Amino acid sequence: MRAFLAVLLKELIMFFRSWGLVAVVLYSFTVDVYIAGKGFEVKPRNVSVGYVDYTDGVIPKKILSHLHPPEFQEPIRFNSQEELNKAIYNREIIVGLVFDPDFEKNYFKGEAKLNLLLDATAAAQSYVTLSYIQNIVLRFNDLNFHVELKTHKLFNQNSDTPKFLALAEFLSILTLITVILSSVVFVKEKESGTWDIMLLMPVDSKIIILAKSLSQIIIVMVGTIICTGIVLFGVFDLPMNGSFLAFVLLTLMYTFSATGIGLFVASVAQSLVQVAQLSVIIMMPIIFLSGSWTPIYSMHPVLQKLSLLSPLRYYIEGCESLFFRRTPVLDLWLYFVALFILGSALYLFGFRKIGKLF
Amino acid sequence: MRTGVIKAYMLKEFTELVRTKLIILVYLLPSMILILFGYGIKMEVKDVRTVILDYDKSKLSYQIISAFEHSKYFSPEVLNISEKEALSLMKKAKIDMIVIIPESFEKNLLKGTISEIGIFIDASFPFRGLTIQSYAEGLLYNEASKLLSSDKTGLITVNQRNLFNQSMRDEDAIVPGLIGIVLLVAPAILSALVIVREKERGTIFNFYSSPVKKSEFVVAKLTPPFLLHSVNIFVMFLWATYLFKVPFRGSFLTYWLTSEVYVMISVGIGLLVSIVARAQIVAIVLTIIITVIPGFLYSGIIMPISAMKGEASIEAHIFPVMYFNHIIYDTFLIGQGFGSEKNLFYFVVLVMYALGLLSLGTLLMKKELR
Repeated sequence: MRAFLAVLLKELIMFFRSWGLVAVVLYSFTVDVYIAGKGFEVKPRNVSVGYVDYTDGVIPKKILSHLHPPEFQEPIRFNSQEELNKAIYNREIIVGLVFDPDFEKNYFKGEAKLNLLLDATAAAQSYVTLSYIQNIVLRFNDLNFHVELKTHKLFNQNSDTPKFLALAEFLSILTLITVILSSVVFVKEKESGTWDIMLLMPVDSKIIILAKSLSQIIIVMVGTIICTGIVLFGVFDLPMNGSFLAFVLLTLMYTFSATGIGLFVASVAQSLVQVAQLSVIIMMPIIFLSGSWTPIYSMHPVLQKLSLLSPLRYYIEGCESLFFRRTPVLDLWLYFVALFILGSALYLFGFRKIGKLF
Repeated sequence: MRTGVIKAYMLKEFTELVRTKLIILVYLLPSMILILFGYGIKMEVKDVRTVILDYDKSKLSYQIISAFEHSKYFSPEVLNISEKEALSLMKKAKIDMIVIIPESFEKNLLKGTISEIGIFIDASFPFRGLTIQSYAEGLLYNEASKLLSSDKTGLITVNQRNLFNQSMRDEDAIVPGLIGIVLLVAPAILSALVIVREKERGTIFNFYSSPVKKSEFVVAKLTPPFLLHSVNIFVMFLWATYLFKVPFRGSFLTYWLTSEVYVMISVGIGLLVSIVARAQIVAIVLTIIITVIPGFLYSGIIMPISAMKGEASIEAHIFPVMYFNHIIYDTFLIGQGFGSEKNLFYFVVLVMYALGLLSLGTLLMKKELR
């Protein structure tokens, strides 16, 4: 136990002595998360609209008046369809509307056609834009259509992206920092040759490994508390619908499995440069399979199975549930167990690979 | 410039790249990024887990349900549970959307009183929630206008054409942009590494003290990354067209020429980084910061350039990614080639970038100890 504490203390002191590292960690947990949250909006905004009006009537103007900021830019008038086409082909205009000469005549007959040209190179935005315009036209029609769609977006009523992006950035920063810090503690010693000396000491290597990892977990946990307290709750006003204690526990479990990944990297890498390369190679699949970019149910079935191996998947789901979904904590037990199993497996591998001299 | 010196130096570089196994990274990393991101970034949401609570059980409500069933975006289930139970399923993240069709929905509609369809969407991933909402509303409005075709006056139908990407595939929208990022990041890292490694090891003094000229050194150092990554241009093309089935509508020559110029730009960025950085790890991190972030933000993948305003628009015009991606999207999806003046102009801009960065790098490089 004394050896455990000694190693733990040594690592903490070594961390706080290297000012550069402390600054980088603090920066990532505060400023970086802040920038990512404030950075940009993913909703369709400022979509550029162009139109050709062969009618010079009132109705096209009325329709166009519905296309307004912040979703759309001021519609630009083109004199002929060729000009509009050229602008779309040069990707200056995303949505093009063409009003035929007999548009108004047909409108009163009830068979008017609004020609819509859509630059679909940005597929997602085009789809949302399309449904915006369909909505506008349908509302404009003002029929005796008596169905009202009551849409409720639960848990995040206004689709507030900054909150979400800040949380997402925090999760990836946490993962990155934990993996890199926990592998660097080992590889640094490996590089300078002191790791062999550590192993030669009359202390169980498992204790040394656990102490070293725990020291990094403590550092990261402090970072987490700073980040959630100041940035997430303070600046972005993130709701906390679950219990904060459960969040801390879940983070602890997650950092446990993430340091397991760090241990894995450390046991394979021989130098710090290799740590950088390896952690990038390992991190990418973990982040992509976590469901933060693509929902897991939309993935290829094989990838869905593989995503069970990504610890980030459980952590993201858990955090989303705790922060937004108001899930009872007991329903989250599976995430805790999954994270614990993943972490333990990685540690067992680490013990075998790095904890032995011969 | 003496060709003999350059040849010898280049031979040394190639053997070193092979011996240090860096060559594996050269070919593994770009393909890996392309495949992972290509499959990974999906703006489109498929198979949304939907629960439909049908309290009406009429012909109309069945029509709505079958519309949901036939859409590839939803995988609906009609369940006989209470709203509360459905909500708790959503809280457990088991389902993403609840559609509630109220009692006597059809009757009210025929009578002409207003009836409501309730849609509840899990928006804890906001953009995903927004997309699901637009899918669901689009589908329901579509059904509605089918029903209303009897009703005549003052009806406008939207006659829409999706240009360049008719079926709105995500792969078509994202993969060409990814090529722009990969070809910017990978050559830059490699060319920065080959120079900074010598600095870190101290072998750079061989160059400092030898009569090799600066220009010869730059050519010899940068040609291997350039040539190796030129192969990647073709590899990326094959992945995009065969694996992701992105259509290719432009001329291959345009694609190839532009990409070569672009790799040159990337190599130039690596050269500039190598002037500043002294350790390999710094070089890697610095290159990633310089290339990846603008690569994503200003590539038009996340946000179309024409939708940017103010600062963002200015910054987008500063980084070379925008110009390259414009031409790349054109060759893949649009197919105007150099027939359009804008493409030609952007190509000239890229050539200027390449020349500017490379000559700036050669100029700033020091052949002495600082």
